[in-house]
Amino acid sequence: MRDFNFLADDGLVDALLMEVADLLHNLLAHQRQGSVDLLGLPLSAGCLAALEQRLGHGEVTATLCSGGESQIRETSFPGVWWTTHADETGRITAMLIEVADVPDILRAARPDMERGHARLLQSTNFSLARPAA
Amino acid sequence: MMTGSPAMADETMGEMLGRRGVSRRGLLKFAIVMTSSLALAPSIAPVMAENLAAARRQSVIWLSFQECTGCFETLLRTDSPTIAALIFDFISLDYQEAVMAAAGSAAELTLRQAVAANKGKYLLAIDGSVPVKDGGVYALTGGKANVSMLEEFAPDAAAILAIGTCAAYGGIPKAHPNPTGAVGVEDVISNKPIVNIPGCPPIPEVLSGVLVYFVSFGRLPDLDERKRPLAYFGTTIHDQCYRRPFYDQGKFAKSFDDEGARQGWCLFELGCKGPTTHNACASVKWNDNTSFPIESGHGCLGCSEPDFWDQEGGFYTSLAGGNGPGWRDTGVAAAVGVAGGAGAALVARAKVSKEPGA
Repeated sequence: MRDFNFLADDGLVDALLMEVADLLHNLLAHQRQGSVDLLGLPLSAGCLAALEQRLGHGEVTATLCSGGESQIRETSFPGVWWTTHADETGRITAMLIEVADVPDILRAARPDMERGHARLLQSTNFSLARPAA
Repeated sequence: MMTGSPAMADETMGEMLGRRGVSRRGLLKFAIVMTSSLALAPSIAPVMAENLAAARRQSVIWLSFQECTGCFETLLRTDSPTIAALIFDFISLDYQEAVMAAAGSAAELTLRQAVAANKGKYLLAIDGSVPVKDGGVYALTGGKANVSMLEEFAPDAAAILAIGTCAAYGGIPKAHPNPTGAVGVEDVISNKPIVNIPGCPPIPEVLSGVLVYFVSFGRLPDLDERKRPLAYFGTTIHDQCYRRPFYDQGKFAKSFDDEGARQGWCLFELGCKGPTTHNACASVKWNDNTSFPIESGHGCLGCSEPDFWDQEGGFYTSLAGGNGPGWRDTGVAAAVGVAGGAGAALVARAKVSKEPGA
């Protein structure tokens, strides 16, 4: 069977890049984050590959290990991130272009930090009681 | 399906997940996946994650009526362990006959206790059609007609999930001549929010999406005119089918083993019901996103539409009419296969009969 999944549509890629440019403008002008759900669009594998190539690779790549591996990679356009989430079997479950200074998922959440703080204190050998003045 | 220790009373899901080592990043990732699945804007994901963290486990009472258990199996067999585990963290499946340990009067007591404890708040999940002929005597549980159970437990539910084509529209039990008077849930209950999740069986990710949406936002997602979630049933299979370009080019397989079929051309003339069937098979797919019937070489049967079993002309007649596939060629191939199989069986039997002591 012939595989038509690898045809790339340059017009579609250009249209998506224009949308990303708009989102980046919104971030710069209004501090509003934005994102594009790539799996929600009828994009062929060829289109996705072309889009990824046009955006390129930037300075930062982060790996999140939670319920499977996620790659959060800045593109060659600062503030534009290519994010891929996979489940524990390695299947891609979400793919986004995020436009933000830092994607939300990279920030440590307060409840997690509180739990971490408690664990850190428990792990020390020092008494938590402060000496009397 | 449960992960780690059971939930504590009055614990929020954020607290429970944190206790089990699931970070807020993990929850946000889950929300990102679910917003994508539900066709919501990605910007909703942080809100969904916050709402899920603050919510308490949702009681679900699952009643099985005139059914084959395929719908429940499809959820149990979901190949996405993360989603399955988290879904079962988010809900409390308080009654489900196929998997619960209790039986007989103990099971009936469990049902009544679950209903009393969650009055007005539980989701009532139904799989199977509701036979109403002759007072509903054709499907009883604990000696009680299923239609009576539905009428008893629906009023105290927050909403009803009609899972599978049988619960949604009557399905196969309703097929002509419908000897039991089978109908869908909405033919019996009209004063409750109902979401139909049809399919024979339904796609498990659709049920996951509806449950997560309800737990996150306290209401059912947007529905189409047949009460199906728009995110999954808003387009036809034909519209999302990877073979659609061949339909547009007029390239059709004429039989299941001709050159067109081998080239992956459109199966419309072989009776594919994709153009009139609303479902997410072509995008969500089945078996861990592996494939769906059309990708496996068979046309869509239209199983998520009402009365799919009684379609005029049958499964192999084109929606435009016509004679269907070239059965003559297929028949010859099948006859050769049958003859070959029969020959092999005869040889095998002859060998067995020669075994010592046979």
